[in-house]
Amino acid sequence: MSDPPARSLVAVACAVLLLGIALWEIVATRLAGAPDDDAWQRAAAIVREGYQPGDLIVFAPSWVDPTGRMHLGDLIPIDMAARMDDARYARIWELSIRGAQRDERPAFERDVDGVLVRRYEHTPAKVLADVRDLVPSLRVEGAARPSLELAEVGFEPHRCIQVVPTSPVRMTVALPAGTLVGYAGLADVFTRRDIRAPATLDVEVAGKVVASISPGVDDGWVRFETKIPAGDVTFVARAAAPNRLLCFAAEVRE
Amino acid sequence: MIPKRSVGLILAVITTMLVVANQQEVGLARDEIVYMQNGMRYADWWIGLVKLEHGISKQSITRTFGGPGATDNNREHPPLMKTLFGLSQRLAHEKLGVDEVTAFRLPSAVMQGVLVLLVFSMVFALWGFLEAVIASLLIAFLPRAMFHASLACFDAPIMTLWFATVYAYWRCLDGRKWPWQAGVAFGLALATKHNALLLPFALGVHYLVAGVLSARAKQLRAGAFAREVLLHRWRIIVSLAVVGPATLFVLWPWLWFDTYAHLKQWLVFHLTHVHYNFEYLGMNWNAPRFPWHVALVTTLFTVPVVTLAGSAVGAGVWIAKRRESPDRLRAPALLLALSAAASVGPFFLGTTPIFGAEKHWMPALPTLCIAAGVGIAWCARGLASRSRHRTPIIATFASVVVLAAVVETATAQPYALTWYNALAGGAPGGADHGMNRQFWGVAARGALPVLARLAPANGTAPVYSHDASPAWGFYQKLGLLPKSLPDAGHEEAGIARSKLAIVIHERHFNRHDYLIWKSYGTVQPIYVVRANGVPIVSIYRRP
Repeated sequence: MSDPPARSLVAVACAVLLLGIALWEIVATRLAGAPDDDAWQRAAAIVREGYQPGDLIVFAPSWVDPTGRMHLGDLIPIDMAARMDDARYARIWELSIRGAQRDERPAFERDVDGVLVRRYEHTPAKVLADVRDLVPSLRVEGAARPSLELAEVGFEPHRCIQVVPTSPVRMTVALPAGTLVGYAGLADVFTRRDIRAPATLDVEVAGKVVASISPGVDDGWVRFETKIPAGDVTFVARAAAPNRLLCFAAEVRE
Repeated sequence: MIPKRSVGLILAVITTMLVVANQQEVGLARDEIVYMQNGMRYADWWIGLVKLEHGISKQSITRTFGGPGATDNNREHPPLMKTLFGLSQRLAHEKLGVDEVTAFRLPSAVMQGVLVLLVFSMVFALWGFLEAVIASLLIAFLPRAMFHASLACFDAPIMTLWFATVYAYWRCLDGRKWPWQAGVAFGLALATKHNALLLPFALGVHYLVAGVLSARAKQLRAGAFAREVLLHRWRIIVSLAVVGPATLFVLWPWLWFDTYAHLKQWLVFHLTHVHYNFEYLGMNWNAPRFPWHVALVTTLFTVPVVTLAGSAVGAGVWIAKRRESPDRLRAPALLLALSAAASVGPFFLGTTPIFGAEKHWMPALPTLCIAAGVGIAWCARGLASRSRHRTPIIATFASVVVLAAVVETATAQPYALTWYNALAGGAPGGADHGMNRQFWGVAARGALPVLARLAPANGTAPVYSHDASPAWGFYQKLGLLPKSLPDAGHEEAGIARSKLAIVIHERHFNRHDYLIWKSYGTVQPIYVVRANGVPIVSIYRRP
């Protein structure tokens, strides 16, 4: 059975299209890939040459992080990998592939066969106090005891103060005046799966709530910021549901 | 000259051989180990029964096929493929000397060949030789399906037996007196995986439509019309409703007593299945509601683009030529469409577990490939219609199109769960899109040569084997890992004991990296196994 002429033309057009798709697919499949170890080694050598103690090294996109750590992990202390955020770092080295670099003007840039090495320079935040360093001096009211953990929050590493508030837990500490910047989230993917309710962290100064966040199971590492006077600051962790591993970090910045 | 009808058989044998070759590099999947272990015991039970070494007792059946717990003796999955894995191990490995993993996986590979043969047979009967060859090649060169067929698991076999049921049902619509084939195929599908329970939705709707077509063709009215719709091929219904469940019953000794309770336990297990973690478009999903488009996007990213494009053309051809379609009363294109819809439909509900991605709706793929075969053949004929060199043009065109699927399939192995098609940008594109990296711990296979080189000359170096823990002993038995690298155990205690550690990268497994950092005091892996540049396994050594 033969097709009418109009159908034949459509068939030819579809054939040309299919042929084009096939050829593109063959080429695209063979070319798909990420930079090899040689490119990564040469990119890492550039970082090592310009590295100064205290520099932050990051990788983008996040899925290439293991490859980056394989090449430069010796320059990344655990606390740096599990940092609260980037604000306290003056120099940030970024090794990125596939166009995943930050939308920011770098102080230095070089492309090494697909690995883009960039260095950003910032005025670092001046940290007056880090609440995580003050865990031993926290005055705790409530059944649960907070502990400093290296936790998975939002599938990222964070060094944070973890507490499981089956009933409200009040943690009070004396802090200097400044801007209190912090983050909180729910740790542990499996408890996040099994219990879907959020937890809440309030920040109280002189009995008044000055900041409050309620990170949920899909919210990750949630930021808060508030001005505080010098004196006692109370962090109140609470949750209506059981087994909420609320983890938070905060520092007072100038 | 090879008879055209024999080409399907040749393609089936080649497909089986390709799958057997491919599986050599594919790591052992976590669930696969469970199926292998239970399969050996199921096989031994049947062998003992045939040899009259034991009879049929509730006690021996429970000890082998069941138990009080929901997963005792893997009672949550029907036994057909597990039994075949076990029988193959006993025969091909123990008697014929085939390596053990290959022996376990042989039934899946054969099933993939059978699928190619069935696709060829149906398409050849309905649309022609060229369509049949292209459709068969496209089903053979599906990257993810090739991977799943390389495992001693159920996902590729259920695709085969689902399609076998559809094919047998279509054949039985010819009015034969004893359409037992449809029932037996359905029973075999039921005895393979619970997906088969969706088949009646496709076959039921098609049966009614075929009845309407038959009644219209006979120009029946009122009561006679309704009777024709319901009873036009009533023997098939009896076959599916009686022979199908009977086949399942015969093959599954666990149903031989307390049948209702055991059937209920089987179904309840899957209706209330835990939601494992699964990454999709940058989010980790482990609780409903899931996005309605998971099946759509995942299929668009995991089937070769030429196959998708060809199937779109083929669907257009089916619609445009619906009045000229062969075998109009049996509505084969509608049957294939309903088959795909029943297979993939539940994944649009937002509540059906999505953690297995495309493997859960693979029975939809024969429909895609058949449509592609029809569409590509139609294009080829159109391209060559005004040429004197018809055959070379058609052959060249079809070869280039199929070659794209071959290239995708070859590129995907052996880490096909990390692979995505050219539309997604390959494995790195899939990672950019936040698509699932992998599951079942299969990629650990790629870390074994590195670990083996780190084995101490004296003493042992326990390895935190993470998601590969169930396969560790088997890898050692196969000689891929020295005995001096024992499994260190689970979670923090295992990491604390370990001198080496691996993390198999899935988004929700990031926590294992952090546990290792804490114990080892470093964030630096000594090696990262990658698939097309995408990290799949990190290896750490305690400093």
